[in-house]
Amino acid sequence: MSKQAEVDIALGILDHQLVDSNGINCGKVDDLELTGLDTDSPEVVEILVGGNAWRTRGLLGRLASRLAGDAVHVPWSEVESVSSVVKLKRPASELRLDRGDPRWSRLVGKVPGS
Amino acid sequence: MSMKNFLAIALGILSAIGGFVDIGDLVFNTQAGATFGFQLLWVVVVGVVGIIVYSEMCGRVAAVAKRPVFDLVRERAGFGAGLSTLIASQLVNLLTCAAEIGGVAICLQLLSGLPYRLLIPLAVVALAVACWVLRFEWIERVFGYLGLGLLVFAVAAIKLHPDWGSVAHGFVPGHHTGGSLLVYLYFVVGLLGAAMTPYEVYFYSSGAVEDGWGLQELGLNKVTSMIGYGLGGFLSFSLMIVAGVLFLPQKIDPQFLGTPPLAAADTLGQVGLLLALVGILFAVGGAAIETSFSGAYNTAQFFGWRWGKKERPAAASRFTLTWVVIFALALLVVMTGYDPVKLTEYSVIFSVVALPLTYLPILLVANDRTYMGSNVNGRLANVLGVLYFIVIIAIAVAAIPLLIVTNGGQG
Repeated sequence: MSKQAEVDIALGILDHQLVDSNGINCGKVDDLELTGLDTDSPEVVEILVGGNAWRTRGLLGRLASRLAGDAVHVPWSEVESVSSVVKLKRPASELRLDRGDPRWSRLVGKVPGS
Repeated sequence: MSMKNFLAIALGILSAIGGFVDIGDLVFNTQAGATFGFQLLWVVVVGVVGIIVYSEMCGRVAAVAKRPVFDLVRERAGFGAGLSTLIASQLVNLLTCAAEIGGVAICLQLLSGLPYRLLIPLAVVALAVACWVLRFEWIERVFGYLGLGLLVFAVAAIKLHPDWGSVAHGFVPGHHTGGSLLVYLYFVVGLLGAAMTPYEVYFYSSGAVEDGWGLQELGLNKVTSMIGYGLGGFLSFSLMIVAGVLFLPQKIDPQFLGTPPLAAADTLGQVGLLLALVGILFAVGGAAIETSFSGAYNTAQFFGWRWGKKERPAAASRFTLTWVVIFALALLVVMTGYDPVKLTEYSVIFSVVALPLTYLPILLVANDRTYMGSNVNGRLANVLGVLYFIVIIAIAVAAIPLLIVTNGGQG
């Protein structure tokens, strides 16, 4: 599906899996930043991932966002395609979406065979 | 079909049969048999068809859209309801994992004579090492095949020469004797919950994604879910029949996990006992792994992390740590010394409450053409899917009140 195709953003983008250019999972579309809501052609400007992006997502989201850090903002221009996943044009590291696993991999990496 | 494909399908079916029974089935089928004889056999049929319908559906979604169950939960239920489902399913997974570990330790105790409390940590370490060292398909195979030792109960059921007329009668719901209506209903809910435990669909669909299923695996998915789970249901029948013949007349209440293997020993001697213990050990051990992995799959899929046995443990470090932590927490729960049979009863009854929010997203996405193209649900899958969803809601509402009112089936 191209980006120009009609997509129901609540059903077709929000809460979907983000996959980087190497095919690696790198978070979910936790929130979207829109502009032009008062015009005929609103546009998605940014995808918000993790942390305080959850604060708009209900009571549990507000609680969860208190425990997490800042959201990562990914400009919509970085999106390659939208299907059952949202595919990005660049590797997660270049978009600051790779901060989770490396934090723990040193610990896990101490076990032989990891 | 080539010989190689045939072999792959046969092996898949075998491990599905061996992997069907877990501690929930073991406890509820033998207790139901000991309380109501063969009168609840029909419930097992209803439960088995239910797990076939929904595992076929989520296997198909995994093969076509490559999305595992908790991706769908998050996409369809959103963040808030999805997170509630995640928390509920994690509690159930943890409780179930603890119950299965308790079962493993009891089997080891009966095999070795060593103290139960010592065997619990040994069991957890052995399971965690198996998870770390073995590749995904080998985990499925080793535990699935050795779980086939449970077939000894099918042999025992036949050798006990039950009154086949009353066995056949048990497949038709109707009047019951031998306990109050509420206890009867408690067992209906428990048997359905044991057959349709949510972790089975989490694990089945994530496993399908792990195995890289595509359109060519749609046939394999149908066969594995229908024949594998279908035949697995025969093990549940056997357990209930054996308990109905041996335990009911003598008023033995199988409140101890060592009781069912004694039934195999009674009919088939030492070999029977050994096969039963090995079968239970691996069936329950496999289920312990499936529950801890389901917990890690669900969390990773909810937050969008890297996940899977196909990843290096250090690369998918949050996924790895999650299943390790679930094993560790389950270890703590079992070490409290709380009775594994009671843990099992609670885990099954609570899992029923988490069923609707797990199954609804599967049903919705399996009908969504943007995901599924021409492989959306057919009429049969939808009729059964909706019917079972109604059943699930009914038992989810009834589960906890029945647990309280009947004092866990004690009447």
